[in-house]
Amino acid sequence: MTIVCILLERLELAVAAGGRAGLLGEPAALAPEPGRELFIGTVSQAAEPFGIHAGMRMGEALSRCPRLALVPPDPMGVAEAWERALARLESLGAAVESLRPGEACFDARGLERLHAGRVARMLADGYLAAQDDERLRRVLAGPRVGQGPTRFCAMVATSAARVRRPAKVTGAADLAPHPVTLLRRRAQTAALVEPFERLGIATLGALAALPRSAVADRFGRPGLLAHDLARGQDTPLAPRLPGELLREELELPEAAGGQQLERALALLVDRLLARHERGGRTLRSAILSARLVEGGTWRERVIFREATADAARIRLAAAARLSLLPAPAEMLELTVERFGPPHSGDRALFDDGATRRDERLREAVRQARAAAGPDAALRVLEIDPGSRVPERRAVLTPFDPGSGP
Amino acid sequence: MSPGPRRIAEPRAARVLADAHGVPLEVDGRAVDAVRESWLIEDRWWTERPLRRRYWEIVTTCGRNVVVFRELQERRWYRQR
Repeated sequence: MTIVCILLERLELAVAAGGRAGLLGEPAALAPEPGRELFIGTVSQAAEPFGIHAGMRMGEALSRCPRLALVPPDPMGVAEAWERALARLESLGAAVESLRPGEACFDARGLERLHAGRVARMLADGYLAAQDDERLRRVLAGPRVGQGPTRFCAMVATSAARVRRPAKVTGAADLAPHPVTLLRRRAQTAALVEPFERLGIATLGALAALPRSAVADRFGRPGLLAHDLARGQDTPLAPRLPGELLREELELPEAAGGQQLERALALLVDRLLARHERGGRTLRSAILSARLVEGGTWRERVIFREATADAARIRLAAAARLSLLPAPAEMLELTVERFGPPHSGDRALFDDGATRRDERLREAVRQARAAAGPDAALRVLEIDPGSRVPERRAVLTPFDPGSGP
Repeated sequence: MSPGPRRIAEPRAARVLADAHGVPLEVDGRAVDAVRESWLIEDRWWTERPLRRRYWEIVTTCGRNVVVFRELQERRWYRQR
């Protein structure tokens, strides 16, 4: 029993519902994200008897239950709550693999000795809830905890676990009676559940009993993965590297869109690059998120082609994502997801002296900031130059000495 | 997070003496020689914090060009660059 899986049921719905806890007692589901395909997200327990499940088409869900309440999703809030939960797990010493918000696995070997064999029990007793806010306390205090020799066994065990009672699945024999619908919890095999059910393959045992070649012939690579999972085999965990959180946000005085939003993004990039915690490192990926005027939030990952600390390139890559924003925003946020190595300082083959001047300028700015803080070198950034209200036209923002690292 | 951006041209409170029609006669102790322009700004009327300002661009007797406005909600005078 080396892998532990923790499942916070309906985390996304609880975050999106916010203070309206009563909503979770009614048939409710997460509405599709604005601008995305019309599939519903997590559903409340009261919606399940109607045959409604996450990933169902919105029209079908509403025809099954006309009084289904659709809650606008809050991907920013979910990411924050889940990040706090993961950080708490990592504070146990666990190398955590996050499967999706609300579900994570880690290898408990070594930790068991550290915590006197009580890791699963500690989690089931509400370890995650100790420092969190009130509205999520119920979700975090009652996680389902499963243990097994592989990731999938531990995931299946969480479905059999009850609140404060960790469960175990020891291998293929224990998996056999469980329904194939559990394959929905793996992204690669989720689409196979419906065809399996149509073919009368109702349990993982029935799937494991099929000849491997027949499964491969009919369902290809995802089918082989599903077959492996049903037989108690799984790929090794890929835990994340515990990272530091570097984030900048900007409240927009009024609903912003278009050019104003791009200027706000430029400001955020400058402020993020000016942070001394960055320590000269480049950025590999970042998260661009926004709080929308009409309610709900929006979140997009920006992965850079190569690790960079060039403000112009970061702006260019992130600005392309802004066009996906479904509504005017009242708050914009930029978070570093992964850092790259520090800039090597390589020079161009034909150097006309500009690089050297930039380097000197950067060094001067760095020294000034080290001595007098991040506000030591500022520049004027025009936010809304055509505004009739003078104080909205320009702001002071950290000075970025041109292109380069 | 670093502190928020600093706005430029934030309004500063001003001592203004005006006539019955709201035309400035004196700004921070300096008499007004001429009024160059006046305009009204109404914005964010759809929010809980609407913005209503009557701007005056004036020239004082010492030759300075000054822009002042009367905040029509809170009835206070400010000067602005």
